[in-house]
Amino acid sequence: MQAKLFDKFNFVVFFSALGLITFGLVAIYSATFGNELVSGNFTKQLVSACIGVIVVLAIMYTPPKYIAMSSYIIYGIVLILLIAVIFLGKKIKGQTSWFSMGGFGVQPSEFAKVATVLALAYFLSNKNKEADVTKFRDFMYAVGICLLPVALIMLQPDMGTTLVFLFLLLPVLYWAGMPNYILFFIVAPAITAICAFLGTWYFVAAVIFIIAMMLVFKKNILISVVIVCISIASGFSVNMVYNKLQPYQQKRIQSMFNPESDPLGAGYNVIQSKIAIGSGGLSGKGFLQGTQTQLKYIPEQWTDFIFCMVGEEFGFIGSIAVVLLFLILIWQTIHIAFLCKNQFLSICCIGFATIFSFHILINLGMIMGIMPVIGIPLPFMSYGVSFLLSNLIMLGIILNAYRNRKDYV
Amino acid sequence: MDLSKRKNFYYVFSLVICMIIGGRLIQLQLINPEKFDKDAERNSVKTIITTPARGLIFDRNGKLLVDNKPSYSVTITKKEFDTNSIPMVCGMLGIETEYLKGELKKIEGTNRFIPTRIMRDVDFRIISFIEENREYLKGIDYSIDPIRLYPTDFKGSHIIGYTKEVSEVMLKKQNTDYYKQGDLIGTTGLEAGYENYLRGEKGFEFILQDSKGREVGPLNDGKNDVKAVSGYDLILSVDAEVQKYAEKLLEGRTGGIVAMDPKTGEIICMVSKPDYDLNNFSGKLSPKIWTALNTDPKKPLFNRATQTRYPPGSTYKMVSALASLQEGILKPNSTIPCEGSFKFGDRVFGDHGAYGSITIPTAIEHSSNVFFYKLVLRIGLANWNKYGQMLGFGNRTGIDIPEETKGLLPSAEYYNKRYGPKGWTEGFVVSLGIGQGELGVSPLQMALYTSILCNSGTFLQPHLVRDLKNPLTGELTPIQYKKHEVAIDKDYFKVIQKGMYLVVNGSGTAKGIRTSDVVIAGKTGTAQNPHGQDHSWFIAYAPFDDPKIAICVMVENAGFGATVAAPIAQRIILRYLLGLADETEVRDTFGGD
Repeated sequence: MQAKLFDKFNFVVFFSALGLITFGLVAIYSATFGNELVSGNFTKQLVSACIGVIVVLAIMYTPPKYIAMSSYIIYGIVLILLIAVIFLGKKIKGQTSWFSMGGFGVQPSEFAKVATVLALAYFLSNKNKEADVTKFRDFMYAVGICLLPVALIMLQPDMGTTLVFLFLLLPVLYWAGMPNYILFFIVAPAITAICAFLGTWYFVAAVIFIIAMMLVFKKNILISVVIVCISIASGFSVNMVYNKLQPYQQKRIQSMFNPESDPLGAGYNVIQSKIAIGSGGLSGKGFLQGTQTQLKYIPEQWTDFIFCMVGEEFGFIGSIAVVLLFLILIWQTIHIAFLCKNQFLSICCIGFATIFSFHILINLGMIMGIMPVIGIPLPFMSYGVSFLLSNLIMLGIILNAYRNRKDYV
Repeated sequence: MDLSKRKNFYYVFSLVICMIIGGRLIQLQLINPEKFDKDAERNSVKTIITTPARGLIFDRNGKLLVDNKPSYSVTITKKEFDTNSIPMVCGMLGIETEYLKGELKKIEGTNRFIPTRIMRDVDFRIISFIEENREYLKGIDYSIDPIRLYPTDFKGSHIIGYTKEVSEVMLKKQNTDYYKQGDLIGTTGLEAGYENYLRGEKGFEFILQDSKGREVGPLNDGKNDVKAVSGYDLILSVDAEVQKYAEKLLEGRTGGIVAMDPKTGEIICMVSKPDYDLNNFSGKLSPKIWTALNTDPKKPLFNRATQTRYPPGSTYKMVSALASLQEGILKPNSTIPCEGSFKFGDRVFGDHGAYGSITIPTAIEHSSNVFFYKLVLRIGLANWNKYGQMLGFGNRTGIDIPEETKGLLPSAEYYNKRYGPKGWTEGFVVSLGIGQGELGVSPLQMALYTSILCNSGTFLQPHLVRDLKNPLTGELTPIQYKKHEVAIDKDYFKVIQKGMYLVVNGSGTAKGIRTSDVVIAGKTGTAQNPHGQDHSWFIAYAPFDDPKIAICVMVENAGFGATVAAPIAQRIILRYLLGLADETEVRDTFGGD
């Protein structure tokens, strides 16, 4: 019986996620402590987590084919919600991404991440249509599935979330069988553009690297030259576009990369969050003892900046524990994707692992000042009912994949 | 398609992400967390400096001379201050914007979180304005600072001295970082001499504030706060009543008086006229008054009791007399013929009269010049200089205020340096024998000298402060002063004392101040003044057989020493020893050098 339970239920994934949620709850409690306006956030998050665990179990026991079959329906509903939110949503800080339902706000873009992964996975694993990512037409379909919600979310506008979708695409396609060289063809111009923005020598190094890789792949000379040219062109155009921008727009981009250049504007939060984390030291200042957290130096720290509280009050020990929990969760998810014979669920797992990875890279990187200031939350930890629920839905599907890993359908 | 290979790609990719994050965590939290720790603290902790009350000053009888009263200062905290409100602040304080900008520039580079005073002793009207308009005046606040209050009509401006805002030069020079822009520091007199005792220790209150600058409560329940400690009180040796009386006697004249106790070195009174009103220096000093005090040709800020450098005239004759006795050049009963004039080289030096062959006491009694011309040539410049130094000339006496001159006690080196080795003759020395020429002394040095003469050779460091008083416990700590015996035989002092007795009680130059109330001994002197009327000196002590007061009075441009200085000295002695006060005007009717 016990062996059977372990065989059907992946405790590692479940408890690492539960551990992160617990860390998140503690952090939210501390971050909202004594702040009457948001003191209800802890309870809301706790209730959401409890409901979420039921959702997780429900999804886990749902037969995979029902999930697969409902993928497009869910995707469609989410698209409708994304359109509706633009007209009916509540405008908060310049973004129209919320529905107000009772006391809860619902953020369709969070569910759109799950739905898009489901739709992509369903499309790529559809045996009837024999979708093949090496074929240009099918490749464009896949891109279309991904870009449709991106376009709608850009209208809100929520740049951080759209980046998640863009980042999601390649790992999913690659897992679905996209050849190495195509992956490289797509990545090359992006690498050049980023390097060109960083400086001339980065740009030169990137171009040399791309030419070298072209020689390794030994593809058609014409295609290789075109790819190199596109890369170089993208490198140049980045700076041209940048120079055409208004000074205030340039300043925003500058402060994304260098927060100190604008200490009172966009860079303020990052400077404060670095101070919070840095001042935590090895073992932290103790629960509810962090001056940065308790004195509210970081605005809305219970959402995107929740990790500051962990860093300040629990120090390096607490912080590295969180990072390790994430690593365990992501590795286990990749492992399940590999084990799972059902291609739909397997692709879903990779999609979710990608979403988690991208979120922690951008969120923690931003908080510690090594990534641009892009506002996306930290999975399982940041306050937000929609975000937590969407994370738990992903967890449910991952557990479902593990449970049914031996079945092909 | 081999997913087992591609799987590794995903593993490595997610591992790299976590390693980047973990590496950054190590960098931030383990490598130099102190830096961030400080930043976090500065972010959230507001430091309020509480200024301690300066120590009080009492006279020898416990009378309170210098007190404190609260005053309001306007402060600025740079971190919170919005430069857009400069015009409003200037309007409120009635100052030019340029002035405020200058003040702001001065505090550049200092702690941005600590309030700095920009104006002292402001009207309460301004404080209520700040209270009412807090939201528009971010970073502007006020502090309550004690300032000096002089509760009696006691003046003693040169004794007490004043405090001023610490200058930029002093701020840079200080070894510690105790003083901040806008702090008061004792600048002259006892306020400066005892600055480290009077100032106390600043207190610090640490208050947590949130990101909006609102105070949320004390840091660590106030356990880190440091209470301000009031400064030590000073108990002076000065007698406030004698001081007031002496100041009155010298009113309208220019000069200095120092009276000290020849048994202890305690200064009983010390007057310098003209003087100034210390009340001008309490709170904010008006630039107009400051300029007026500094440009006044009579130099009221100058301490004539300790800083003047005039030739002492005949009052100095006892130095040569003691030197000759100690060196064995004269015996107590030896005589020198005094013909009424003295020819040295081509020059003839005159005298008040021809006295025949006279002993030292008689020479002092009549202040014979010829006697001392001859004597100084016999003892020589080197000995003359040596005994001058032994009696306190040419050096600082060590009084406990910073304003003091060494004076000038010429030596062969001095003349060589000034005129070249061949540029001067023994004729220069002849003038020195009667206390003229380059010789320069202060009234303080003369009072000390008088005290050594009357106590037969005990050098007592003159001082104004007897005890330090701990304001909390009331405990008195006496201050130890230096004391030593001068290497001159005590018997020789008796010879000098006899001469000084005769000056007043024989047929000497100051017989006009003889009184039946107390036996006074003294010596007159006249400092030749190439710029105007001579300065008059008088040194005296009393009672003759058990001296309790040694005094020096110097009045500028008053002519003979006996004319003005001697009666002033006599009245102070009577006031001090017997409590007698003569309110009539000092008459210039006495004669004699």
